[in-house]
Amino acid sequence: MNDANPVLIEAREIEKRYPNGVLGLKRASLSVKAGEVVVIVGPSGSGKSTLLRTFNGLESITGGEIVVDGHVLHQRSADLRALRQRVGMVFQQFNLFPHLTVLENLCLAPVKVLKLPATAADQRARELLAKVGLSSKCDCYPAQLSGGQQQRVAIARALAMQPAVILFDEPTSALDPEMVGEVLEVMKQLAIEGMTMCVVTHEMGFARAVADRVIFMDAGEILCEDAPDAFFGAPKHERLQSFLRQVL
Amino acid sequence: MSPPLSRWLWHAVAVALLAALGSGLYLASKRIDYTWRWERIPQYLISTEGDDQKAPFDGFVAVSEDGKTLSMTALRGTETAQFTGFSMIIAGNGDLVFEGDVIAKTDAISAGPLLVGLWLTLKISALALVFALLLGLLIGLGRVSKNPAARDLAAFYVEVIRGTPLLVQIFIVYFFIGTVLQLSAFSAGVVALAVFTAAYVAEIVRAGIEAVPKGQTEAAQSVGLSGLQTMMYVILPQATRRILPPLAGQSINLIKDSSLVSVMALTDLTKAGREVVSSTFSPFEVWFVVALMYLLLTGVLSVAVRRLEQRYAVQG
Ligand SMILES: Nc1ncnc2c1ncn2[C@@H]1O[C@H](COP(=O)(O)OP(=O)(O)OP(=O)(O)O)[C@@H](O)[C@H]1O
Ligand SMILES: [Mg+2]
Repeated sequence: MNDANPVLIEAREIEKRYPNGVLGLKRASLSVKAGEVVVIVGPSGSGKSTLLRTFNGLESITGGEIVVDGHVLHQRSADLRALRQRVGMVFQQFNLFPHLTVLENLCLAPVKVLKLPATAADQRARELLAKVGLSSKCDCYPAQLSGGQQQRVAIARALAMQPAVILFDEPTSALDPEMVGEVLEVMKQLAIEGMTMCVVTHEMGFARAVADRVIFMDAGEILCEDAPDAFFGAPKHERLQSFLRQVL
Repeated sequence: MSPPLSRWLWHAVAVALLAALGSGLYLASKRIDYTWRWERIPQYLISTEGDDQKAPFDGFVAVSEDGKTLSMTALRGTETAQFTGFSMIIAGNGDLVFEGDVIAKTDAISAGPLLVGLWLTLKISALALVFALLLGLLIGLGRVSKNPAARDLAAFYVEVIRGTPLLVQIFIVYFFIGTVLQLSAFSAGVVALAVFTAAYVAEIVRAGIEAVPKGQTEAAQSVGLSGLQTMMYVILPQATRRILPPLAGQSINLIKDSSLVSVMALTDLTKAGREVVSSTFSPFEVWFVVALMYLLLTGVLSVAVRRLEQRYAVQG
């Protein structure tokens, strides 16, 4: 990862207050450069998902400002579609479209949004499925696949839009333990190829091995961030130390 | 595997109970001294009453040897005419007939009043159903819209329509809207039924859409689909499977509700039944037959929808 790379995500003092008054994010600031892999960790309810979801406008913000790939997000922003074409997202529950085959899941957005010809979209979808090791599953429906396979399809679906950055919200938390590895392997491969990634995960091994930077969140705040060696080897913040004692 | 014997036994019990109910009804009708005249019913289903062939001018009739052709020569002038395809000759060979006299009867099998009524019920229900589905989908989408104005209007529509009796709505459409817009009784019937059913269809559509997990919308939006595209390609296809069964029930209701249009100048199946009763004085037979005909319509619809459901239920 090159320090001179352009900044892709720049969040400045963003605040998220839910309609019920809960403060999900408190003046959180973060910047992510192109090609960087940022892993976000923290206890349950600390605002990790909320932070990630503000980056593609799935959650609106109630204060501050985010610039994602040149698109500015304020309290009330329109034109989220253009932004979302540049930001992929992978969910804990996969959220594949159950009424479409694997191939159709991958082709829907490229054809409908990017107006790609069907044959071109089809070809690219097959390439991506080969990349995540699922060439044989093109015509299956999601329900016919294992959790690990579904999540790999979901990653391929995000890639099909050729995004500038992909957000992962606990991509392996809903998986049986034996399937976690295959998904992390695909993500690791993406990182090596230089994909910009923001990953919320409890897989500390992945964070240590793949992350360029690890962020620690607690109670809606970004408490500290560091390179993985320092983050795990010499945690500075006292609450991070107790968090790491619990999870490691 | 074949069902166990006890299950057949229970089916037999049900049949026996139904038979008991039937004979009970029969005995009850004996007590009120009712004469069943089933033989009168078929003519109101299929009428064999032919048309009359009338003489077009004054003249003499000639019947061909095989009795299959009638020819006429005019009393005055040189006009002639030939008739074939009748079933019965009324005039005799060499008779002098005058314009308008019946010279033969043609065989014509036509639908009797009950079948004509059934056809009108079918037509009005089918048309109303098409409009009700379109309108209901629109209003259902309004119910789940992000726009508060669309939500309010849709909710208002549903509340008003569901809160008033269909009969009153039919009167309003027929006498008020129908008069203002110069609608025919048939159009007014279609409009009233469609407007009424659409409110229920809207609620079915709304429930179906809301039952699709929120993650589907989020996934669709995160790959850049617009709100409309999300609805069309992701939400509605999944909602359809949940929507179909209650929609079938609502369509069956529509067919049954259509009997209320008989209050307008429309001879639907129910109105036809009433007319036949007044000319036969056989109310029991007629109403049983009418009920059976409604059952036929709703039964066919049920089967068709079940087929459709099976097709949509293929994937997980
Ligand atoms: N839609 C919502 N409405 C109200 N409060 C919410 C909503 N979503 C999240 N919250 C609250 O915001 C806070 C942060 O939630 P968030 O889901 O971002 O946490 P998280 O770090 O992702 O937790 P987890 O590890 O359990 O996924 C929590 O206190 C949560 O209860
Ligand atoms: Mg979360």
